[in-house]
Amino acid sequence: MSATTTATARSAAAPSPRGRRGRRFGTLLIVAGLVSAVVVALAVGGDAPRTGFLDPDNPDPAGAQAVARVLSDDGIEVQVVRSAAALRAASSDGDATVLVTSPEHLGRSTARHLLAEAAPGTLVIAQPDLLALDALDLDLDTSYAPELGGSPVEADCDLPQVVGLRLEVDRPTGYSGRSEQSCFGADPSLLVVRDGITVLGASELLSNDQIVRADNAAIALRILGQRDRLVWYVPSIEDLQGDDAATLGSLLPPWLGPGVVLVLIALVALVLWRARRLGPLATENLPVVVRAAETTHSQGRLYRRAGDREHAAAALRRATRRRLTTRLRLGRETTHGTFVLAVAAATGRAERDVAALLAHDSTPETDADLVSLADALHTLEKEVHP
Amino acid sequence: MAITGRLPLLLLAGLVPVVLVARGSTPWLWLLVVLALSGLDWLAAPAPRTLEIARRSPGATRLGTPATTTLLVTNAGRRPVRALVRDAWQPTAGASGNRHRVRLAVGAQIACATPLLPRRRGDLRAVGVTVRTRGPLGLVCRQQTRDVPGTVRSLPPFESRKHLPSRLARLRELDGRAAVRVRGEGTEFDSLREYVQGDDVRSIDWRASARSRSVVVRTWQPERDRRVVLVLDTSRTSAGRVATSGMQDDVDGVPRLDSAMDAALLLGALAARAGDRVDLVAGDRRIRSQVRLHAARDIAARMQDAMSTLEPVIAEADWSALAGAVQALGRRRALVVLLTPLEPTAVEESLLPVLPALTRYHRVVLASVRDPELERLAGVRDTIDDVYAAAAAEQALARRRHTADMLAALGVDVVDADAESLPPALADHYLTLKARGLL
Repeated sequence: MSATTTATARSAAAPSPRGRRGRRFGTLLIVAGLVSAVVVALAVGGDAPRTGFLDPDNPDPAGAQAVARVLSDDGIEVQVVRSAAALRAASSDGDATVLVTSPEHLGRSTARHLLAEAAPGTLVIAQPDLLALDALDLDLDTSYAPELGGSPVEADCDLPQVVGLRLEVDRPTGYSGRSEQSCFGADPSLLVVRDGITVLGASELLSNDQIVRADNAAIALRILGQRDRLVWYVPSIEDLQGDDAATLGSLLPPWLGPGVVLVLIALVALVLWRARRLGPLATENLPVVVRAAETTHSQGRLYRRAGDREHAAAALRRATRRRLTTRLRLGRETTHGTFVLAVAAATGRAERDVAALLAHDSTPETDADLVSLADALHTLEKEVHP
Repeated sequence: MAITGRLPLLLLAGLVPVVLVARGSTPWLWLLVVLALSGLDWLAAPAPRTLEIARRSPGATRLGTPATTTLLVTNAGRRPVRALVRDAWQPTAGASGNRHRVRLAVGAQIACATPLLPRRRGDLRAVGVTVRTRGPLGLVCRQQTRDVPGTVRSLPPFESRKHLPSRLARLRELDGRAAVRVRGEGTEFDSLREYVQGDDVRSIDWRASARSRSVVVRTWQPERDRRVVLVLDTSRTSAGRVATSGMQDDVDGVPRLDSAMDAALLLGALAARAGDRVDLVAGDRRIRSQVRLHAARDIAARMQDAMSTLEPVIAEADWSALAGAVQALGRRRALVVLLTPLEPTAVEESLLPVLPALTRYHRVVLASVRDPELERLAGVRDTIDDVYAAAAAEQALARRRHTADMLAALGVDVVDADAESLPPALADHYLTLKARGLL
């Protein structure tokens, strides 16, 4: 039944071999198209313009391609590095200005390297957050300074690069704390020089859309154009490794490890406490439970396995005959014919049917026949009332 | 040696020093401290052997009836003792609540009672007494298990005793004390007394009436001082369990032997009241028990005691040995009751050859526990498996009937009944035989 259904379904799904081949070809075409699209996207994506904030290759309003182009047009060699390894290779001579944008990905190890390699006064960090400040070992507080944004701010300091210039950005970040120089606002200020590191809170002045406001362009060119070479480091998330991130151990209390050891020892003691028995187990030999009818059950199963319908039918007929003989008060020596007549008379059935039911020599052909014979004998017995 | 729940708790208390001094070595130092305390506690704990333990034996009880065993625990040491005492019995003895907490001053004695509820027939034994004494800190205990022998004899329950009063009433009807007098072959002359209205006129003794002024009748009583020999078959066929009417599906029924014992107890009690002398023989390949209960007063109790330790064994019954044991009890004519299942092969191969020797001298009755499961199987005919099982059951029933007919032809009365109806059926058969004077 179920096999037929499956076959029908399969033939409906596959009308002809030719159609099947065409569909397979179409699938191959789609897969090939997808694969080639991915390959092209990867290949082209390598040269695609960057979209990061203050990225030197990003021509968007938030990018900083304009500054990078102007600097290189002025004869300054702008070298963009995008990994810690490239940074190590690029800044080995120490005679270059190093600018770090998006410093939220500045790792501790890279920061150490920057501090060690960069010459004093050549390191510029654009808008670092607290973690980056901590990584650079700068004891400064950072805060959002909206009162300094939206309008030009005077330099207010004697730093040679910015003296007399005005700065204007939309969303500046102020830095406060002890420092050698602080320009554009006092505590917080938008430009802070500390330990020879220039911290640029108003990093937006480098962006393509704000570089033309006030004296932003002049400030950018003066700060970044002090040397012949500019190493523009854009940290990526891959540069964070090893001890750069906070470990789980540094967040957990110190007594946790010994505490766990102690709890494990207590657990072992708990197991020992519960596992120790109060004396040995009380055992006993019990008699095997045997049902008296067990042999009869298994004999029935044997008949079933052998399929001995003849034997089973004979046993059932003999039993019916014996019971009916007793009930109809017939003698033991009653012949089969007489018996059939008596049963037919008692039940009102046709003599032929009763004879067929009680015949010695007819064997049921199938198991179903045997079941119906057993049922019929049972019904016959119930019908006989002396 | 055993530890208490306080030890892990004390170890956990070490979290305080661990938090205060967060070093890797702190937990191990704390463990050393706890181990040292435990060692001191163990040394200070009183030895379990300083407790002297004696047992008051529970004696005998009927299967399923509660009993109590008592341990007398005495502190013979020089220090007060806090201890846990466990009185272990084999599981079917049903020793619930067998753990006793004791606190004993020096020289004090305490009685620990353990309730028992036997779930199995026979002698059920105590396995051992375990004593666990605590140290003063309660961290560790010393433990010792010793053998304090004890036995509870679990007797056959004799549930058919409820049938005894009605059968005794029928026995009195046979007796001359009752108003109805039966005169027949199986009665013997008892006494003469005056005629009262309602007496059978056929029982008037005319010769005695002639000598007297009033009409005198004879009274009769059933014959007395007959012998009844009960033969219990403890062979493999008696181990089979048969269904009882109150049986749940998850219970396996009762062994045929237990039902046969019930029947034997009822018949023994009845025959003893009727003034007959009862003997008991039990065995399979060899004789397990052979008891003369002639003049015993509470014959049922003695039979229970004799039967309590009998268990079916995996062996065929040696009926010639059993018949020999019956003959050895006396040559006088007796009613021999064979309590054995009517298993065609077992009966035909072993019992039939020795039956003529028995029937020559004695009246033989075969009492068999029938399994209602066979009739049930023969009646269910729903699936093909059922029909084959029904055919097998019909065949088994036919063979049983054939064997019963063969036994009847040899002059043996066959009483074949379900586990619960066998005791009254056998008692009724006995009363019938007695009334007809066939003993």
